[in-house]
Amino acid sequence: MTLVRQAGVIAAKDLRIEVRGRHAVGTILPFAATLLIAFGLSIGPGRTLLQQTAPGLLWLAMLFASVLAFRRSYEAEGEDGALEGLLLAPIDKAAVFLGKAAAVALQLIALWVAVLLLVAALFDVSLGGDTGIVVAACLLGTIGLAAVGSLFGVLTESPRAREAVVPLLVLPLAVPVLLSGVKATSLGLAGLGSQAGGWLGLLVAFDVVFLSAGTLVFEYLMED
Amino acid sequence: MLLTAPNEPAHAAEVAAVSLSRVTRVFGVTPALVRVDLEVARGEALLVRGPNGAGKSTLLSVLATALSPTYGTGSVLGFALDRGRDEIRRRTELIGHRTRLYEDLSGRENLRFWARLTGVEEARVDGALEAVGLSAAADDRVGGYSQGMRQRVAVARATLREPDLLLLDEPYAGLDDEAKEAVDGLVARTAARGATVVLATHDPTRGAGASRTLYMDAGRIVPDPASGGTRR
Repeated sequence: MTLVRQAGVIAAKDLRIEVRGRHAVGTILPFAATLLIAFGLSIGPGRTLLQQTAPGLLWLAMLFASVLAFRRSYEAEGEDGALEGLLLAPIDKAAVFLGKAAAVALQLIALWVAVLLLVAALFDVSLGGDTGIVVAACLLGTIGLAAVGSLFGVLTESPRAREAVVPLLVLPLAVPVLLSGVKATSLGLAGLGSQAGGWLGLLVAFDVVFLSAGTLVFEYLMED
Repeated sequence: MLLTAPNEPAHAAEVAAVSLSRVTRVFGVTPALVRVDLEVARGEALLVRGPNGAGKSTLLSVLATALSPTYGTGSVLGFALDRGRDEIRRRTELIGHRTRLYEDLSGRENLRFWARLTGVEEARVDGALEAVGLSAAADDRVGGYSQGMRQRVAVARATLREPDLLLLDEPYAGLDDEAKEAVDGLVARTAARGATVVLATHDPTRGAGASRTLYMDAGRIVPDPASGGTRR
């Protein structure tokens, strides 16, 4: 119970900082929108091709945008040595991981809503079909991405290292989320949600593995 | 009958606040602490002096368990540095060069965050801010504070938990007189309630209330060039 309370305090703090800084609205959303437009332009004007590739473009845009969210999440900790404060605080270090992952996940969920609407408008994609499957894929994928990003973001307190190391560590590890998410979303949008169970299962397994790993090893990543 | 609090060493009152034996800390190939032996009694106010790069900050970081010794052993408040980190952190507060505040939060929000996180009564936050003269600016964002105001918030945070061991690493650097007074006040109050204080500074005008002075150079405890010697 203490772990959950401490994680909640850290998540609330991160969200308050995010609301004050408006980083998601001012930086991450425009970045995701620019990516989607660039992807669309590179594929060309064929509506059918755009609609077929929309799930992949959607997930790629979210994946790259999420890297910005992970970096921002630890930027505030590095500004004046706050991460060392969390290290030396008499708390369960897993709470730092879970709190930061929860805060990033909530930001990404808000971003999903905006990006989904953008994809629907730009690529003329209907968000009908099996909406529940699409939502489930987005939620499960978000949890997985938030877990990976929050786990490895702690390794990069210095700004210069953060620029290079977070994408290098997170993007390869997020490939299973990307593949499963794209497949489940494609099937959901096509109204073939009954075939998406395996892909959603893979997302659940990824979430369980990285949430468990983060909870168990985060303390060792933080410690000297 | 239970004579000590849970997780408290059985002979808590008698064990030294700090006990280090041949503690060495190496960064890469550069030694920052070299075979340091140190005993600090409970309730003692120890002043650590020395030039930049002498190892003062590393020593305090080791005591706060922010850094682990590369070699050697030691205990803080009766708990081993390697196995008792959680217990040491529960009873220790380190104030350093960096104030560990969140710039997008106000001073009051920063303290409330730490109070909630560590289970301290939030009602103490306002009193702590008032004690360092920051009540009027408490709701302003820390990003707009001067270094002195930030350090006063850090001092206020340190008072929330009433630590058994207070570690201060160059706490006067870049501060105005008001902030220096706030740091001095914290040291005096902490010493007055019987807690142990270790203060590292090369500001010769500070640390007058210390019960003992230690001099460091090149990672070692050496005789104080001003007084001709020191005891460990």
